[in-house]
Amino acid sequence: MTVSLGGGSESTTRAAAQPVSWRSSIAARWRTNTSRRLAFGYMLLAPAVLYVLLLVGIPFLFSLYLALSDANVGDPVARFVGFENFRAAMEMDTFWDALRNSIVFLVVAAVFKSLLGTSLAFLLLQNFSGKKVVRALVVIPFTLPISVSVLSWKWMYDSQFSVINWGLHRVGLIGPYGSESWPIWLGQPQLALLACIGVNVWRSFPFGAIVLLAGFTSVPTEVLDAARVDGCTFFQRFRHVVAPMIFPILIIGFLFDTVFTLSDLSVVYLLTQGGPGSATQILPVLAYQIGIQAGALGRGAAIALVLVPLLFPALFLMLRNLKRRDW
Amino acid sequence: MSDLRPTQTDPASASRRRFLKVAGAGVAGGSLLTMLDARKAPAQIKGSTLRILTWSHYIPAYDVWFDKFAAQWGDQNGVKVRVDHIPHLEIPARMAAEYAAGSGHDLILNNSTILARLYYKSLVDMTDIFDQLGKKYGGWIPAAKSPIEVDGRIYGIPMYYILLPMIWRKDLFEASGLKPPDTWELARVAGRTLKAKGNPTGMAFSHCNDANLNWRSLMFSFGATETDPSGDNPTIDSKEMREALRFAKAMFDEGMTPEVFSWDDASDNRFLASGIACWILDAISAYRTTESTNPAVFKNTYLALEPAGPGGKRVSVCAPIVFLGWKFSKNQQAAKEFMVHLVDNDKEGMIQSTGYNMPFLNDNAKKPMPILGTDPKMQVLQDFPKIIAFFGYPGPYSPQIQEVASLFVLPDIFTRVARGTSADDAVKWGVGEYRRIFAKHKRA
Repeated sequence: MTVSLGGGSESTTRAAAQPVSWRSSIAARWRTNTSRRLAFGYMLLAPAVLYVLLLVGIPFLFSLYLALSDANVGDPVARFVGFENFRAAMEMDTFWDALRNSIVFLVVAAVFKSLLGTSLAFLLLQNFSGKKVVRALVVIPFTLPISVSVLSWKWMYDSQFSVINWGLHRVGLIGPYGSESWPIWLGQPQLALLACIGVNVWRSFPFGAIVLLAGFTSVPTEVLDAARVDGCTFFQRFRHVVAPMIFPILIIGFLFDTVFTLSDLSVVYLLTQGGPGSATQILPVLAYQIGIQAGALGRGAAIALVLVPLLFPALFLMLRNLKRRDW
Repeated sequence: MSDLRPTQTDPASASRRRFLKVAGAGVAGGSLLTMLDARKAPAQIKGSTLRILTWSHYIPAYDVWFDKFAAQWGDQNGVKVRVDHIPHLEIPARMAAEYAAGSGHDLILNNSTILARLYYKSLVDMTDIFDQLGKKYGGWIPAAKSPIEVDGRIYGIPMYYILLPMIWRKDLFEASGLKPPDTWELARVAGRTLKAKGNPTGMAFSHCNDANLNWRSLMFSFGATETDPSGDNPTIDSKEMREALRFAKAMFDEGMTPEVFSWDDASDNRFLASGIACWILDAISAYRTTESTNPAVFKNTYLALEPAGPGGKRVSVCAPIVFLGWKFSKNQQAAKEFMVHLVDNDKEGMIQSTGYNMPFLNDNAKKPMPILGTDPKMQVLQDFPKIIAFFGYPGPYSPQIQEVASLFVLPDIFTRVARGTSADDAVKWGVGEYRRIFAKHKRA
């Protein structure tokens, strides 16, 4: 990170020109305004850096240490085993199912969240009666305790008492309970994965909408009016005016959502525990089952870390793009 | 049984630490014997605090009784007792957190996921209390040691187990001229016959505890085994296992609907209570739920032993519930005394759980048992102690079996067959998963 507050070259030249001991050189540096400003800047940054190191860096390094060791929950002594845990994970069929499902989960959920989030954000931009109520309702999915909301969904997906199936049956789209057309939401492999993705989308898209809404409201109305006067259609205004202006917000929102979706085990764990078979198994659930329930911390950590090398290039490219745009 | 008397040592070599250790063991052992004989806790626990972590029981009234019981014991002995209830699925994570922190509860009640073998190096050795209780109550039932014994030492006290009997509809069976489901074959015939009349059967194929328990019961009754008696080698690649799988496939095709792939542990309860199921294999909470929600169905709902396999063998895989205690606990003495007091009141616990908590001690399992002995429909449950087993049968409930169970490998083998994979291919896949898990534990 570069912190430039100006005046650096002049002071550096002056300090280098003086043939003095290193102690007096440091003292001389401290006396300059530039170095004081620099020190003050770093001091202001220090809490944030410390926070990141403590809450992100150390746990990440610890999980790396676990992944490279044979640590288990009941044994304080862990031996270094190199990449053994990664190798062991990759030997499992379930691991590959979980990796595939995680990627499908992420991509499909992202598509639906983008569509629904954008639509909702546009809806909330309009003036209509009851807008305040709608805005209040929007926050419910992600403010409800996840255990409560997912258990409600579990009831709605119930094989026998599903309110969704009841509704579909009432409008004549499916047959009665027990018939072949009666969907078993959490029992048929593709439907089960879709059902889990559905709950994740339901929980997350209002958050995306709020992020977008914040971006939309920051776009000056004069710019939009000018585009309108120039004859831009709705989609042209969105593509050429709004989207570039809110690009940083979009990227940050997308990054957050990607990380949250990939690390979210609660929806799948509470709905299906990865079943039936490994139809809904995803990496966080597998890591939890192996690392915590079965006690093999090293293998659990290795599975949890598998997505890091996949995510890093994506994050790097996105952030670099953000920087290039000079935001 | 461990000798609880102070060990004779060479005075010249006895260090101060050694002296304190031996004296401490003598005091603890002495007080344990006193406590067991007199049913009275020693004075040194007075003023201490006992923290207990337990699961939220399926019979909520039992939790109410347990909390009151613990508080009363605390009042009588000058111990402040705190009981925390959490869902049983959260106990492994809580134990991992407490282990990492080096502090937490003095007693933790494990349910189904028994973590004694994972944490045994950090758990209190309870061999002395286990032996004493066994002696006092006519010995433990044979399966009791399986989840808690490591290298000949005992690291937990079994409190009760949850059995999963055959729960069937007498009216539906009689109307179709069917015999009671005493064997798996009769159960299959009943499913086939009654599904056609709108009353299918069901056993969960999904990732839930019932699936882990019930499919093991079926395969063990067919003569298949999960590991050898040492527990070091998986043994699912057998002729009996393939027979069990083919049978399960037939039972699914003929008598079940695909909803069994989506079931959780409570789905079969609802299935029975709705009046649709002709039979299910589940804990008696299903029976109790039906009693309160659908009295008409309940009137015709009967309980039976685990169905017998082709050779007449019956094995019922149950969920064990055991207390474990941390070595770092500062109140091990009070913890032990509380457990003894609880075992002494085992029958009351059984009454309060409405017959749900099955006893691990032979004397408490003698007929007539409370609740079960007086209810004509439930009397058959008193014969379960002879046929129960736990995960890994006939080997112990080891960490590798814990991992197999956590990943639902066994139900997945049955699921694959039910969905159309051949028994040979499913076994091949399962053997691969078992071997990899066992090999990883060996390497570790």
